Amino acid sequence: MTIFPENVSTYGQEIDNLFWLILVFAAIAFFISLFVLLYPLIKYSSKNGKRAEYITGEKRKHYKWITYALVALLLSDFVILYVEHDTWGNIESVPAISKNDVHVGIIARQWNWIFVYPGPDGVLGTRDDVVIDSMNSSLHVPINANVIFELRSTDVIHSFFLANARLKQDALPGRTVMRWFNITKPGKYDISCTQICGILHSKMRNYVLAETPEQYKHFTDSLYNANKVVTSSK
Amino acid sequence: MENLHQNKSFWSKYVFSTDHKTIGTQYMIMGMIMAGVGGYLAYVFRYNLAFPGKSIPFYGMLGPQAYNAFVTIHGMIMVFWVGMPVLLSALGNYLIPIMIGSDDMAFPTVNMLSFWIFAVSALVLIASFFVPGGAFGGGWTMYPPFSAQGYVNHNPNFFTALFSGTSLLILAVALELVAMLMGGINFLVTTINKRAKGMTPWRIPVIIWFINIAAVIFMFSVGPLVAGAFMLLFDNVLGTGFYDPHRGGDPMLWEHLFWFFGHPEVYVLLLPSLGVLAEIVPVFSRKPLFAYKTVIYLALLSAFLSVLVWAHHQFVAGIDPRMATFFSIGTILISIPFAGIFLSYMATLWGGSIRMKLPMLWAIGFIGLFLVGGLTGLFLGSNTFDIYAHDTYFVVAHFHYTLFPDIFFGFFAAFYYWFPKFTGKELNAKLGKWHFWLTFIFFNGVFFLLFFNGLAGQHRRINDYSSFSLISREPYQTFEQIATVCAIGLMLSQFIFLYNFITSFRKGKKAVKNPWESTTLEWQSDSPPPHGNFNPYPEVHRGAYDYSLPEAKEDFTPQNVPNVN
Ligand code: HEM
Ligand SMILES: [Cu+2]
Ligand SMILES: [Cu+2]
Repeated sequence: MTIFPENVSTYGQEIDNLFWLILVFAAIAFFISLFVLLYPLIKYSSKNGKRAEYITGEKRKHYKWITYALVALLLSDFVILYVEHDTWGNIESVPAISKNDVHVGIIARQWNWIFVYPGPDGVLGTRDDVVIDSMNSSLHVPINANVIFELRSTDVIHSFFLANARLKQDALPGRTVMRWFNITKPGKYDISCTQICGILHSKMRNYVLAETPEQYKHFTDSLYNANKVVTSSK
Repeated sequence: MENLHQNKSFWSKYVFSTDHKTIGTQYMIMGMIMAGVGGYLAYVFRYNLAFPGKSIPFYGMLGPQAYNAFVTIHGMIMVFWVGMPVLLSALGNYLIPIMIGSDDMAFPTVNMLSFWIFAVSALVLIASFFVPGGAFGGGWTMYPPFSAQGYVNHNPNFFTALFSGTSLLILAVALELVAMLMGGINFLVTTINKRAKGMTPWRIPVIIWFINIAAVIFMFSVGPLVAGAFMLLFDNVLGTGFYDPHRGGDPMLWEHLFWFFGHPEVYVLLLPSLGVLAEIVPVFSRKPLFAYKTVIYLALLSAFLSVLVWAHHQFVAGIDPRMATFFSIGTILISIPFAGIFLSYMATLWGGSIRMKLPMLWAIGFIGLFLVGGLTGLFLGSNTFDIYAHDTYFVVAHFHYTLFPDIFFGFFAAFYYWFPKFTGKELNAKLGKWHFWLTFIFFNGVFFLLFFNGLAGQHRRINDYSSFSLISREPYQTFEQIATVCAIGLMLSQFIFLYNFITSFRKGKKAVKNPWESTTLEWQSDSPPPHGNFNPYPEVHRGAYDYSLPEAKEDFTPQNVPNVN
């Protein structure tokens, strides 16, 4: 049994490492505190027959220990903040554009994920975009490429969760959020909705299908071709 | 005075009573009944989680709509109809007048009204299960637009929209907040105006300080929520669009208003129980509370900081990423005063003469469990890790490790401690021990393994995980089953408490005036205290924690003792 599901994104490992770092701090604090809490129950039990000392805790020699502990806590907090800061910036801001990037639109709707492919021109929001609205169609992405997505919702709040990439982002109606991921291993990964959104919230699952660049090209080619046929026959 | 008291009818004595102790009892009983309802709901959906698709004993089949509603109302009940009445109202009503040496609250009639508005709010809440469509099922956070669709769904019938599960829930919460607001004003005015002679601010017991600080935090943060709740109600029944982006509204507005109240609210719930610990730990350590004044300053500091952290619930909501760092720092900062308060309690133990009686057992258990809750908060306060952990069972386990000890361990500690005072009877200590150990073990059994489910990516508020390959696998399904078996054990263990409560109340041994040898004023009155609490009224000569004074022969010197020897 592993603690986390397999990580397949470029930045996922940083999140896992952050967990272990915080766990170290938390475990140290936990065991010290537990000792400070439980040891006196034995050492200073009334069964020993000794009268309690009159300590009000206002003298420096008594309260200095608490000050040290609080400073240590504050310092470890800021160490965590310092370490995580770059990861946060990395995940939450879209990387500089390169020509290998893939742009897609993800639209949440009660109760499915709708995917928008940019069409042959590679640009979202143009006439050749292809919208796939089906429970049975996963989001195809190439591996080792930055997938930059625009996230929207058409109705209520949903949340896009790709556990294997360690990415989560709410989709609020009325705004568009840009996020990205880069998956390094081919496979089929669960997308779940993590914001309660109604009766079929539990069923609001789709997949990211990460493929080799060749497979991906094959997929988009046939998608765009099929779509062209439809448009021209109109 | 005694005559007047005896002439009262049953109604004015027990039902529409203005006596602070009776009102405290009413709040406590009401909170316990609601805990039963909230616990039953938890039993039903926990059973479903362990055995999806099976018929649930004492309920039947649970569909997705009912699952969502049960989870939502469970959370609502535990926070607003158990935590608030039991910790704030019951403890505040029982303890404030008697611990400051007064006869009653400043506004006894407002006090009575507060309880009855609270009782109505509970009825409205329960009624929401029985309207067409059933109770609201969008989570206790009630995020719009999901919670703002009444007008569209019932278009445009005002009355069906008003009597929908959503609107009734909003109304119930609004009424509950009004009741708490009336109580809070009463607490403050009483504490400021009705103290016994000599009860200067720095002689007031910590619990009274903390209840008042909690009342201030509550009053300060609740205003925006009430305004927000009315906007939500209007969206539902009048068709306004405050939270509807298609008409210029913004659902994020609600998230801010809700959490601007919602986070301080957890401190409103925490402070009264921390006050309980501050009373119990010194008594059973026979030592003054460590750094009494600092503890109070720390609580005041936390009250100030409590309104600077709310958006840590919105790290992945789409707020500006640069804002998140600010709220992370706020969250880090507020952990310091609370850590300080807990450390002061632990320091109180060192050098004491510790009596491991029942109230102390609950107090130590509280601190131990809260340690897990508080330290797992480190993970969630980290905005980066929260990207992954948000809305998973890691969060569910975390907040249960804070709220469960806070509400239940805090209440039981208080209950076992003050029961002899307010009933004049002793509780059965052996049953009390069973109650403690079973509750402690089963509680850990329910929630500890769920941390792992959360880390495995299990998201919350899901009635059926069969679609998710990451979760519907071992060992996570077994963990769900262990959690459910323990949850049932946890609930059954509470019957030991009920049995102990009832039998001790009816035929327990007579309690003495001051069984734990405490210094605070309530213990200097009779058990149970008469109407009016004291006769004659006490004069206060010292702080609340004069244990083991070197110059005194006894190891405790009550607050109303003028000079030692
Ligand atoms: C009897 C013991 C309890 C059990 C077995 C229990 C179980 C649970 C579970 C499993 C959930 C998550 C359900 C889901 O997300 O699908 C939950 C949610 C929640 N619980 Fe409890 N709980 C208990 C006591 C409490 C207490 C004492 C509180 C105190 C405040 C509390 C407050 C909440 C809240 C606020 C939620 C969130 C509701 C929501 O998602 O909208 N619970 N509970
Ligand atoms: Cu959804
Ligand atoms: Cu918070």
